[in-house]
Amino acid sequence: MANFNIDADKNLTYDAIVIGSGISGGWAAKELCEAGLKTLVLERGRIVEHVVDYPTMTLDPWEHDLRGGLTPEQKAKHPKGGRSGFIGAMNEHFHANDVENPYTEVKPFMWVRAHQMGGRSLLWGKQTYRWSDLDFEANAKDGHGVDWPIRYKDLAPWYTHVEKFAGISGEALGLPQLPDSHFLPPMELNCVEKHVKERIEKDFNGRNMIIGRVAHLTEPLNGRGKCQYRNRCDRGCPYGAYFSSNAVTLPAAHATGNLTIRPFSIVQSVVYDEQKGKASGVRIIDSETSEEIVYKAKIVFVNASTLSTTQILLNSTSSRFPNGLGNDSGELGHNLMDHTYRVGAMGTVEGFDDQYYKGRRPNGIYIPRYVNLKDGPQSDKFVRGFGFQGGGGRSSWGAGSNQEAFGADFKDGLMKPGPWEFFITGFSECLPYHENQVYLNKDVLDKWGQPTLSIDAEWKANELALNDQARQDAKEMLERAGLKDIMEFDNKHEMGFGIHEMGTARMGRDPKTSVLNGTNQVHGCANVFVTDGASMTSSSCVNPSLTYMALTARAANHAVSELKKLNL
Amino acid sequence: MNRRDALKKSALALGAAAGAPTLLSLLQACAQTDRLTWTPQFLKEDQAKFISAFVDFLLPKTETPGGLDVKADVFIDLIYAKTYDEAGQKQAEADIEKFNTDCKTKFGKVFAELSPEDKASCFQEHEANSPKFPKTVWGGAVGPREPVGFYRGLKSTVLWAYFSSEEIGKNVLSYDPIPGEFRGCMPLSEVGNTWSF
Repeated sequence: MANFNIDADKNLTYDAIVIGSGISGGWAAKELCEAGLKTLVLERGRIVEHVVDYPTMTLDPWEHDLRGGLTPEQKAKHPKGGRSGFIGAMNEHFHANDVENPYTEVKPFMWVRAHQMGGRSLLWGKQTYRWSDLDFEANAKDGHGVDWPIRYKDLAPWYTHVEKFAGISGEALGLPQLPDSHFLPPMELNCVEKHVKERIEKDFNGRNMIIGRVAHLTEPLNGRGKCQYRNRCDRGCPYGAYFSSNAVTLPAAHATGNLTIRPFSIVQSVVYDEQKGKASGVRIIDSETSEEIVYKAKIVFVNASTLSTTQILLNSTSSRFPNGLGNDSGELGHNLMDHTYRVGAMGTVEGFDDQYYKGRRPNGIYIPRYVNLKDGPQSDKFVRGFGFQGGGGRSSWGAGSNQEAFGADFKDGLMKPGPWEFFITGFSECLPYHENQVYLNKDVLDKWGQPTLSIDAEWKANELALNDQARQDAKEMLERAGLKDIMEFDNKHEMGFGIHEMGTARMGRDPKTSVLNGTNQVHGCANVFVTDGASMTSSSCVNPSLTYMALTARAANHAVSELKKLNL
Repeated sequence: MNRRDALKKSALALGAAAGAPTLLSLLQACAQTDRLTWTPQFLKEDQAKFISAFVDFLLPKTETPGGLDVKADVFIDLIYAKTYDEAGQKQAEADIEKFNTDCKTKFGKVFAELSPEDKASCFQEHEANSPKFPKTVWGGAVGPREPVGFYRGLKSTVLWAYFSSEEIGKNVLSYDPIPGEFRGCMPLSEVGNTWSF
């Protein structure tokens, strides 16, 4: 694999430029390269080559001198992202430096960023679910936000297209609110999860508890190995078993001979040609030399991740677009959404003391949305809905900290697994509110002198009502399933904790109220496409990454078709 | 940390019965720790003696290695030296001093020099008075929480130092770095001890 072509500077003109190499950028690169377009991928961070650049992928705890502990110098680089609780010594090198890349929290907002080739595709949770018309019709039905310009039928073939190549494991169930993917075999539930599933499905009509649908291979695919159940995904997978740009899409793009990827390229703006009425290229700053370079292309895909994409568009001003590229509507930067996080219940399960499991499954259970479906119970307290993730397992030696015990018997007792525990935690849909927004902040500049983002967004009454219901339902389900020592929780995390930022350059039917059209083209600048989370018109309660993949593949193929027709 | 890591490694209140040490375990705990056999990077000698004594009393040698056998005390010194910032280091020193001062007030000697019976009394008192760690979901605390204090914090660090050591992780716990498969249900007897990680 590899040896990516990084010598972008001998040629300043390409057929296509893709800004960003994460989940959606990687897909744009693959689709465009495979269609024969000479494609330049601009990556603001370093090259991370699959396997070669995964230094911690096989380390056991004792093989790291601090056994996963971070030094004060490492911690100091992550005052923002560190709030997630996900940053440790084994993955710290995949998290962006918050000090060099400041942003301003007008209201609290945790923004997790990953500035290297592959972006957050190296770190993501890999939960992959199709959205349904319950989601695509939601805005039109209850009047929040604007109508999606597409429906499920428009995206369904593209879901299949990306699933066949990405590799999604799961169980087909025919649920209308959670359409089945093209599945590899599902992962297995453990004994306690099977037990809880039976109880919940028996006691609650219309509720299902399923194994998570995930972008992990349970069978080899296209030369990638299947999951080995190490659960060390966030270090990079030596088998390429989970979907990342590094292991999957970028190598495919590279194999065409059409890919050039330029690292250390901070995109300053998309360049708009006033005469031609479309974009002519992209202006970058080399993060190492501070040199400014303009690359030219027929089409530009902006896939920098939701908020960075919008930051670039806001910074791309011209006579035609004085308030940012594609911002005729005034909606650019607005309607920021996320999913709520850590609201649910947990408890212990009795009766399986002689049972255990083998393997560290990088996946849990999922309870699809069951409220406010087309048929079934409707709430008078909120619109939209929530789903749950969770899982069960036996506690380990860490539980010893809280035992009121010490000494020989205590130590020897910790050699055996502790009680079975089980939890579920809700992800609630967030409505699109115009006032939940980001905007350029010229008073706070980054290391390269560029304006940064101010983020001004918060949960409102509907999200809080959804969370209340999710917490109560979680407790009720665990009680009826017979769990003991049940504790409900709601951490009331600020926005950003879901790490599912969506919106700020939404798709829509009307250029007066949206930034993108139904094929993700910028209104008024048709050769610029936005297909990452920024494009989302609503947020569903369902994890969004698979939808970004499908939207990207669809838009890229539309772009190629339009280029052939000389329409761009 | 992976989001799906769930609860396996989390510190959960288990409601376990307060474990009054048996006479045998007290006798086994009576190791000599009055001479330091290693050179600390951060701790002063009397502080290092305290850490060694704490480790040894919490996790004495039995049929399996004790905390000192796997150099848990040496690792804790390294953690203070390399992962604590200056304010954290100062606090750790103050906490150790206070722990010893309290021992002197109550039992007449610093912790390392106490009899096994007095060490047990000291630990029992701290167990009774130290708040518990909160439960966690995906690496983050949930539910009610309050600072656990020095005793329980150090206890947690000792457990980490011990169970993440190569000797325990590889040779005592069930070590399976590349499981290759997931089996959702199997008899515990086929695995034996808890999985190493």
